[in-house]
Amino acid sequence: MRYTTVIKEMNVLFNGQIMVASRDAIVIQAIPISGSMLPQNFTMERIREVEGVEKSTPILFVTPMSLSGIVQTVPVNFSMGIPVKDWKTILGPTPLKGDGAHYPTNETSNEIVVGASLADQYAWTVGKEVVLSGKQLKITGILDTKMALLNRCVLMPLKLAQTVHNYPGSVNIIAVKPAEGYPQKNLTGAITKKISYVQALTEEERNDMIQPVLAQVETWNVGMQTVILAMSLILVMTVTVMTVSERRRDFATLDAIGAPLNYVFRIVVLETSLIGVLGGALGIGLGSLASLVLASLYTNIPLAQFFPSVFEIVPPFYMLETFVAVILVCCAGGLVPALNATRMRIAEILRAEY
Amino acid sequence: MKIKTVDLTKKYRIGPSEITAVDNVSFEVDEAKFMVIIGPSGSGKSTLLNLVGLNDSPTHGKVFIDDIDTSMLSNGSRRKIRLSRMGFVFQTFNLFPTLNSLENVEMPMSLAGVSRKQQNEKALTLLDAVGLHARASHRPKELSMGEMQRVAIARALANDPEVIIADEPTGELDSRTAKEIASLLFEIKRNEKTTVIVATHDEKVVDVAEEVYTIQDGKLKSEN
Repeated sequence: MRYTTVIKEMNVLFNGQIMVASRDAIVIQAIPISGSMLPQNFTMERIREVEGVEKSTPILFVTPMSLSGIVQTVPVNFSMGIPVKDWKTILGPTPLKGDGAHYPTNETSNEIVVGASLADQYAWTVGKEVVLSGKQLKITGILDTKMALLNRCVLMPLKLAQTVHNYPGSVNIIAVKPAEGYPQKNLTGAITKKISYVQALTEEERNDMIQPVLAQVETWNVGMQTVILAMSLILVMTVTVMTVSERRRDFATLDAIGAPLNYVFRIVVLETSLIGVLGGALGIGLGSLASLVLASLYTNIPLAQFFPSVFEIVPPFYMLETFVAVILVCCAGGLVPALNATRMRIAEILRAEY
Repeated sequence: MKIKTVDLTKKYRIGPSEITAVDNVSFEVDEAKFMVIIGPSGSGKSTLLNLVGLNDSPTHGKVFIDDIDTSMLSNGSRRKIRLSRMGFVFQTFNLFPTLNSLENVEMPMSLAGVSRKQQNEKALTLLDAVGLHARASHRPKELSMGEMQRVAIARALANDPEVIIADEPTGELDSRTAKEIASLLFEIKRNEKTTVIVATHDEKVVDVAEEVYTIQDGKLKSEN
């Protein structure tokens, strides 16, 4: 869920822009995964020569980034190096918090701004000095945003980022803004024609590339849910068949004393529905807690930091959907045993008692 | 309630063989009578009571209640008769284990749609009548066998039935308690003008009976 959020957010940050990366890089939205680095100046000069380019911004995007020597199972921290003059273009009007907070003022300073989640985890405040890859850096602001990507991001001037991450004069992605009215598709064609070692992706192409991955994740989720619900259905049905069998004398007695035809049916279905309500509530509670614990274990982010964002990790609609599905499954699981209970032959059951 | 059976027969198929549990039984019992059917185990007593109590359908023959042929009634109508005009007492009491004595007695009234307040008042009165007012909040497992059967009798009386059908009501009880239960059933018959049909092999019940029948291999014979 978190990665889906981050991937979607990348599209918000680079809305309307073309992303240029090395030809061998895998680009997920605007995140280049592996692939060669691009020579910054050489590539930027050629991009500027292409007709229809209004603005281009070189970016060094590094992930995973290990902080405090903690080994992370999955990458959760990101580092972005952006030229100081282009910060507003990429981040928009993202406010900073902290006394005297400000964005870095020049390319060669050692100033950085950090995401709120990172700041909370490592007790970073404005003015504090931190060491990253052996370099002493000064925090000048904490990003005040709800974006998951920026919350776990260390932002620094591009030159500083190239020094810190040891990629001097290199970037791995360039955001290109087309001139007004200039079609993105034409521009990508022109860029790749002029620069042989790059790929240029329009917003639509980036979405098309990521859609199958997201669809696969979705299919996997739905598949897992279906299997789990089917197993629950069988389990509820089995347990209810057993409990009905154990209580057949009670049901026969109810029948004998004249309970309406659907009375026993209603009791059984009501009981399984109640199991669904209780089980659903308990399952959602424990499941949400488990997902937070797992998220914390996999990311090394303290559990307490996840509690405020529990409804982002497990959205309320998903909780409701699961709750309703569990109740329906339990109801369905009770139907067959309930029908069996109503079809019992009272005389045979009562006679067996004597 | 007047009950009449005509050539009542019930056959069961167990594997390849056919067993005649009730064989051509015809009898008539008038209102407010105490009728006892005696016979050894497997003689067909319970099957006959199930047929008379509309809990089972005969293979042949008919059961008339107040001259109405019950075979012509729908399942729902038979249920209504069982709920509002009949009371059942079972050998193993068949109380609902999760309900207390009061709730067990209230159950038939609840099924009949009696108001909550009336259920409570009537159930307490009935428990009082069977001497168990103080045990109203006790669950069946907290009661003795005799007490459980008294609760079962109170439950059978909940909807003011015209007939009580009791299958071996003293079968699980000791001699002294069995005598008390037999007397209680007779008191009910006398005070409430209720017809009582009891299947038993207990002589203490036979002693208070007005009409006695014996059943052997499904055939009923009057001993009057």
